[in-house]
Amino acid sequence: MIRSKDSGLLPGMCLVALAVMFLSGSSWGAAFDLWAKDAYISTPDGNSIYIWGLTDSAANRAQLPAPTLVVQQGDTVNITLHNDLAEPVSLVFPGQDVVSSGGVAGLLAQEAPAAGGTVTYQFAAGSPGTYMYHSGTNVHKQVHMGIYGVIIVRPADWSPTNKTAYGAGTDTEFDREHLLITGELDPDLHWAVEMGEDYDIRAFKARYWTVNGRCFPDTLLPDNAAYLPNQPYGALIMCKPDERVLLRYVGVGMQNHVLHPHGNHTRVIAQDGQLLKGPAGEDLSTLNFTVLLGTGQTVDQIYIWSGLGYTPSNPIPTRIPGLKNLVIMDPTLYSGSPYLGVKGDLPVGTTSLNEVGEYYFMLHAHEELQITNWGAFPGGLMTLITVYPPDYPL
Amino acid sequence: MRRATLLIVLCLGLALTQIPCADTPANAATVNIRLGATDGYAIMPDGTAVYGFGWADLTRVSKKRIYNNKGKAQFIGPLIEVYEGDDVYITMTNLGMVMRPDLDDSHTIHWHGFRNQIPIYDGVPEPSIAVPVGRDFVYYYKPLDPGTYMYHCHFEPVEHIQMGMVGVLIVRPALEKTLKKRKFVFNDTATEFDREFLVFVSEIDPVAHHDIESVQEPDWTDYKAGYWVLNGRAYPDTMAPASALPYQPFNSRIQANAGEKVLLRFMNLGFEQHPLQLLGIPMKVVGMDAQPLKGLNGEDLSVWKSTIYIGAGKTFDVIFQAPNTPGEYPFYNRNYCKQRDGPVGVGGMLTSVVVHSPRTLPGQRAVNE
Repeated sequence: MIRSKDSGLLPGMCLVALAVMFLSGSSWGAAFDLWAKDAYISTPDGNSIYIWGLTDSAANRAQLPAPTLVVQQGDTVNITLHNDLAEPVSLVFPGQDVVSSGGVAGLLAQEAPAAGGTVTYQFAAGSPGTYMYHSGTNVHKQVHMGIYGVIIVRPADWSPTNKTAYGAGTDTEFDREHLLITGELDPDLHWAVEMGEDYDIRAFKARYWTVNGRCFPDTLLPDNAAYLPNQPYGALIMCKPDERVLLRYVGVGMQNHVLHPHGNHTRVIAQDGQLLKGPAGEDLSTLNFTVLLGTGQTVDQIYIWSGLGYTPSNPIPTRIPGLKNLVIMDPTLYSGSPYLGVKGDLPVGTTSLNEVGEYYFMLHAHEELQITNWGAFPGGLMTLITVYPPDYPL
Repeated sequence: MRRATLLIVLCLGLALTQIPCADTPANAATVNIRLGATDGYAIMPDGTAVYGFGWADLTRVSKKRIYNNKGKAQFIGPLIEVYEGDDVYITMTNLGMVMRPDLDDSHTIHWHGFRNQIPIYDGVPEPSIAVPVGRDFVYYYKPLDPGTYMYHCHFEPVEHIQMGMVGVLIVRPALEKTLKKRKFVFNDTATEFDREFLVFVSEIDPVAHHDIESVQEPDWTDYKAGYWVLNGRAYPDTMAPASALPYQPFNSRIQANAGEKVLLRFMNLGFEQHPLQLLGIPMKVVGMDAQPLKGLNGEDLSVWKSTIYIGAGKTFDVIFQAPNTPGEYPFYNRNYCKQRDGPVGVGGMLTSVVVHSPRTLPGQRAVNE
């Protein structure tokens, strides 16, 4: 079956950022160079859309979304923006206190002038959490064109053997983490930028919706897939029963999105990088089956699937009709059996993408036109949560 | 002839024993429900008959007569009401469609928000199965979390949800079996109430519905709501009697005696976010997404609001206390653009809460009565 090359680390983590962290001398060095460039991205219905974005190497085209930057609480983060686009570009960092150097003054932030200009931003990564960063210039155009990414601040006591989102004693331990950045694409506006025509945001009409820069089913494909060269981040969530899965939702687009995972509720533990605890340690977290992710917001939550205890020796209480009285999709994600880790019969000729009897649950926007690719279902703002049998080597 | 009569009586008798007994909760340990997936029409106040797909309640219908309900979908779907701990069997029969005999779409039931569900009962076709025309499938649930849920079809959901395959699902708390004749949202006496009403919000894009009626494929990214409905009806039908629209059986006549506590179950399965405002009476949100608003250590996270902003796919349990002054308190979509029926006139998501003087109304015997 198709699965992303997930070693258990944050999928979509910028490999270069990680390398910088481990090679810079201190264990969490935090200096990044980003180039503003252009590129083309693919949609599953065969469309090719011109985007602007950031990349971590002067030799690359842009990637959508921008590289994910992972730093640690207490780091002094330095980000140098190099501009290869034909108009000024800048970056803003909601939730951070930023000092700039170089560049020229812009409306919202210090800018890197067009065609080769640079600017450097510095901030102290104070509070752990999930944050976004995006353009601060002509934001109605540049953010929608794709200049956006995520910064994750790890807590000061972070260790790979004791993973928490917000530190010890915050009830934010997790076994796996995934990043889900939601966005929209109006191909007509991207075309206008590509052709050098007027860009009228009042005519905005989304035709595609994305998670980590990709539309379903490309959201299921591996990270760094060669055939999606400018969309390196997948969104397939993989876990096992009873594991605590940290889901970081980031709403970079212009629309609010209501996100609904199947299989269980999520416990919302933080918003906008702020842990949901009161001043005396009161727990303010809530269980949600749907999270309303406002534009510009981030929401951290824990998802745990534990199942209902059904196995072949503790069978489900209903009889499943014979195959000729059912409709099974082709290709299907169904194993042919209702039990986790078990495969059963499927109609002759059906292609099953099910590997070992794993379960699949959709995680998707509930304004359902957003789970289409230009109106064709399935597509858009959707991914899957895969629950593997406990003995599977994940 | 007599043998046929006896068979009919036996069939009806079997059907009767399968009615979920909301009136006698102590007996409802095993609940059998049958829903039929088919098509039908919803009537808007400007006279437009909007084509849709939906559910018909076949629980009391004998097996021989099930397919007589083709074309008789109701909007919104039948109310399912069970107790926590019940063994709930929902048989879904795909009846096929009257107006679209060419459309052999399958259907499924997705219990939105059921915790720890397994794919075979989750109703998403791609990782499990779907039910073809003319066939049945039995979904099983043992709900453990009281609260307000929704159910809907998950086959081509962008189309089937908008076309109307949606309904309300209430799981009642076991506390109602020990403290009989009293009503609670959760197993918490602080969530007690006297009357409960449904506030199911959604919209209708009449062009998309007409396209599908006429065997055309709508472009869902051109979705444009033209009607905004509460429980499947638009004002003034929101205030009409329940029997006024036989295929839209839920009105929004929220009524109470002064001083009574009223539970509003907010649900959204539209494609928009909606702010619902109650003028003159504060509302306390005690539950969200079928969970009490409490922290991990029992912290009270309930909040007071005058406007409930609800996104698609969410539910809220909201209690208000009817004021001592009898009167009519408007309850409407605060996005005023959504108080319309078609191009002109006041309509849409608009109703009112009517407060009577004490002891005017008898006790409520059914949800939304």
